[in-house]
Amino acid sequence: MKSRALAGISTLVLTLISLTGFSVTSAVAAEKIAAPTSLTVTGAGGVNLDSSLYLPAKLPAPAILLAHGFGGSKDSVASEAQFLAQKGYVVLAWSARGFGQSTGQITMDSPQFEIADIQKLINYLATRKEVVQQHTGDPLVGIAGASYGGAAALLTAGYDKRIDAVVSDITWNNLEHSLFPQSVAGSTTPGPFKKVWAGSFFAIATLPNAYLGECGNFSAEWCAAFVNSLNAGAPSAAAQKLLLASSPSTVTNRITAPTLLMQGESDSLFQLSESVATASEISRAHPKTPLSMIWHASGHDGGSDESAYINQKTVQWFDKYLRGKSASFPKFEVVDSNGTISLTDSTVMPKNLQSTELPLAQKGSAIALSPNLAPFTAPIGGIPAALSSLPGLGSALSLASTAISSLGSSSIPGGVTSAALLPGQSAIFDSQPLTKPLTIIGGSSVRVHVSSNRSDATLFFSLVVHSPNGGVKQPNGLVAPVYLPNIPAKGVDVTINLPAVVVDASMGDSLALAVSSTDQGFQLPNNGRFYSVQVLSPLRIPVTPLQSAVAKSDYFTWPLAALVTIGVAIGLVIWRRPRFNEVAADESEALVSVSHLSKQYKDGYQAVSDLSFSVKRGQVVGLLGPNGAGKTTTLRMVMGLIYPTEGEIAINNKPIYPGSPALANLGSFVEGPGFLPHLSGRENLSLYWRSIGRDDDPKLEEALAIAGLGTALDKKVRSYSQGMRQRLAIAQAMLGMPDLLVLDEPTNGLDPQQIVAMRQVLKKYAKTGRTVIISSHLLSEIQQTCTHVVLMHRGRLIAFGTMRKILTRAGKKVESLEDIFIELIGDDLTIGKE
Amino acid sequence: MSYTAAKTLPYRVELYRQIKRKRTLFAYAFVISLPIIVASAVKFGPSGHSGGPTRLGSGTADLIGLATQGAANFTITMFYFATPFLLIAVVSLFNGDTVASEASWSTLRYLLAAPVPRTRLLIQKLKVSLTLCAIAMVLLPVASWIIGLIAFGSKPLQTPLGATLENNVAIKRLVIISIYVSISLLFTAGLAFFISVTTDVPLGAVGGAIGVVILLNILDAISGLGSIRVWLPVHYSFSWFDALSSSIQWGSMIRGASYSIMTFSLFIAWSIIKFNKKDVTS
Repeated sequence: MKSRALAGISTLVLTLISLTGFSVTSAVAAEKIAAPTSLTVTGAGGVNLDSSLYLPAKLPAPAILLAHGFGGSKDSVASEAQFLAQKGYVVLAWSARGFGQSTGQITMDSPQFEIADIQKLINYLATRKEVVQQHTGDPLVGIAGASYGGAAALLTAGYDKRIDAVVSDITWNNLEHSLFPQSVAGSTTPGPFKKVWAGSFFAIATLPNAYLGECGNFSAEWCAAFVNSLNAGAPSAAAQKLLLASSPSTVTNRITAPTLLMQGESDSLFQLSESVATASEISRAHPKTPLSMIWHASGHDGGSDESAYINQKTVQWFDKYLRGKSASFPKFEVVDSNGTISLTDSTVMPKNLQSTELPLAQKGSAIALSPNLAPFTAPIGGIPAALSSLPGLGSALSLASTAISSLGSSSIPGGVTSAALLPGQSAIFDSQPLTKPLTIIGGSSVRVHVSSNRSDATLFFSLVVHSPNGGVKQPNGLVAPVYLPNIPAKGVDVTINLPAVVVDASMGDSLALAVSSTDQGFQLPNNGRFYSVQVLSPLRIPVTPLQSAVAKSDYFTWPLAALVTIGVAIGLVIWRRPRFNEVAADESEALVSVSHLSKQYKDGYQAVSDLSFSVKRGQVVGLLGPNGAGKTTTLRMVMGLIYPTEGEIAINNKPIYPGSPALANLGSFVEGPGFLPHLSGRENLSLYWRSIGRDDDPKLEEALAIAGLGTALDKKVRSYSQGMRQRLAIAQAMLGMPDLLVLDEPTNGLDPQQIVAMRQVLKKYAKTGRTVIISSHLLSEIQQTCTHVVLMHRGRLIAFGTMRKILTRAGKKVESLEDIFIELIGDDLTIGKE
Repeated sequence: MSYTAAKTLPYRVELYRQIKRKRTLFAYAFVISLPIIVASAVKFGPSGHSGGPTRLGSGTADLIGLATQGAANFTITMFYFATPFLLIAVVSLFNGDTVASEASWSTLRYLLAAPVPRTRLLIQKLKVSLTLCAIAMVLLPVASWIIGLIAFGSKPLQTPLGATLENNVAIKRLVIISIYVSISLLFTAGLAFFISVTTDVPLGAVGGAIGVVILLNILDAISGLGSIRVWLPVHYSFSWFDALSSSIQWGSMIRGASYSIMTFSLFIAWSIIKFNKKDVTS
């Protein structure tokens, strides 16, 4: 039995696995990759690049250059490298110059240094026979990296045509614009200095190497550029030149390798707009370059851990463009952190949305904002300053500010308090409450009038969602910094590009433009200012058609798998259906013939062994034997409830098996009555008759006369006594007057008068040419009722014949069946095997 | 005398046998009592009189917090409450009890000896138990809507995702949700039916099925199991949330429904194969 259950389970599992396309590759992925080989490659100008080479199981394979982020080393990408090697790529990870064990100085992905180093690495890969080579000196190679490594990837793809695919994550398009962000459309003036981020960068590179002096491992040029910018609050001309050289924006028009651009939504350092700029430039120069973009919920500010998702997308991209695997890759995919409700606690879970177009020149819709003029101040010394986001804390702060402002709103009706929007230093311009929900994916813009009492203005604009209870949600704490010099006394009109965000607004919320005079992440003017801001245009919000990121194939494969499974299920049922002989082995004139019947239960208990007897019409047969003789098992086999291990039973020369039509000619009462307790006796009989598939006359009245229940017939069976149920069960067995009646202990619980009556009924029943088989332990009862006797013991037939023959012993008639019984069986009443 | 196997245990007879049972009526009473209890708790609860309806939750954008919005929102929330246990229990009851209770009443052997062919017996019983489940699946939204209408009036459906759906759209969505929830419960139905065929103890079959489904729900809630969980049949039990966004997101509902149908058909096949080979000793 166990083996059969096991077979069933394994069939189920196997079917599910094969049908649902559970990819076997995940099993392959578990295979061990040999530890990487450490080696030193000589970079540009003779620096030593400490590298690791990861080899996959199957060689030769395409190679991937894996660049690390700022402050990391080749070891910080070890898990990604392992993953890619498991997926079948040769992976070369290295510590960029100035980091890890590599020599040289940091020049921020400069083309002459870091990028030239990578070209040397490609030369090195061209010498390795483990790497698939396209031409001499041109290996099949992709490059991937995040942040500092992402820019290196893009710049290398621009400078070296041998790169065949690029995956770049959370990186910059223009470094100057990222560190001195200016959100005024069309302005070339550098914006406020992003001093906290820049300082963090500088500290990461200098602190571990402080013994080298205040510049650490930074090259002198870059060190000077940073120090000067911090002092001046604006980039020097030299710094601008350096920043530009390290910007992918200088080479995007040369990138022709398939490029996957990923950017984090939780990133105040390199905002989503950086990927938009890179993508626009690549597609403008080479519209045919395969280009996809992903906005995930991670980033420099933290956000959610998206590493598994990023790894998976990276390998899909390389599989498609290095291996030529035909797979559909979305043009644009975005993780909407507010996508769907959690299955368990109704918190919100992220959902991936896809689009067939990049969000470059997005169509927009307009939302009117409050036209009121809003005055506010900038505090002297820039303190206190609003807190929108800080390195590594951005999202947490953004969440905290939502919570704080929700609490605050109860005490200040209609007011706004938020760490990101301090009272007196900020203003908020609301739209009408939304009449339908809105998902904004991308950057909005708005035209405003700004005036200042000091001829310049440093402002931080943001798109926020203002809920009816006063809560303000500033998506991921992202702000659009603005620096406006030379403002005339009457003020100036400018168009502000708001940060690209992914945000959901519900019905009843209003979208709002928020503006703050301070932000702790930026260099702020030291002397105080008075500003006034007025909104001039409606808010232009982007509209991108998006679909849930479920592969379209799911719409067909799953239902198809379900259909196939239904087919398999039906097939299994047909294949494993029991098969029976429809024709009896040998003809006989007996009504019931039992031949060589044996039953061994699964636990090994032999209940019946080689039992043969036959019963003719008109006989009343008594089945006798002590407890455990196998009487009930025999009767159950006659009813088709139990499969014999050997032998066969036939009624009217038709074999008996479960569901055999011959059973329609059998009425039975075995091991007690069976009725639905919640129905009346009459309903039980009527429903039973309607269930047995016969369409002749049930002869209900005759049966009911036997039951003799009177008015109790219409009461629920639950209320019946044992005797009443017993009589009802015998009546049920007699419904339709079947040719064969099998009764097991029919007189249990009957009164003496009823026993006498029952005896007459059974005799009369047999007189009509029908047959009755009774099993009982009341020997006197059997003696008075039966014409024939079958005596069983330990599953074997001891005696079989007419009552007269049984009662005759050694030519002499014995008075009672009891004496014969004791004589034949003795006192051996042990049940079961010995 | 003529016997026709196809006439044994007709659907209407089996339906009558089951529908007259107290447990059937109790199950329906439980289904209807859920919206009544929740609605009265909100209406006559401690803060029910201080103007405006009591909120069930504190959030501004969660399903439970929106329950008192109107009949449509109330109905959705009742689905949310009923999905994790009540409906599982009702479906397990109807399907788990159906064969095992015949065994425990000893009626099973008389039906089989009648003879009702074994495969036919299971299929007829399954048809009826699924009918009883379908009635519960209609009863829940209809009762919730009516009670929600009386208690909170008719207002457009406001979803936690921010969508607002007019009542005619909301009703269509509710029909989709009812159908999806019904299909996704087929896994539970198949499991309960299978256990019912293997045991003679009705409560064991019902309890066993509920236990297994709850265990799977617990596994599904362990995020450490990662992507293995998408192979748990209960993983998709709340995918009907996707019918609440402005445009229905079909992906995971299609997956969940297909997966449920797959497991259901295999369980039923396994039940029939097992029952056909079984020695009936009850």
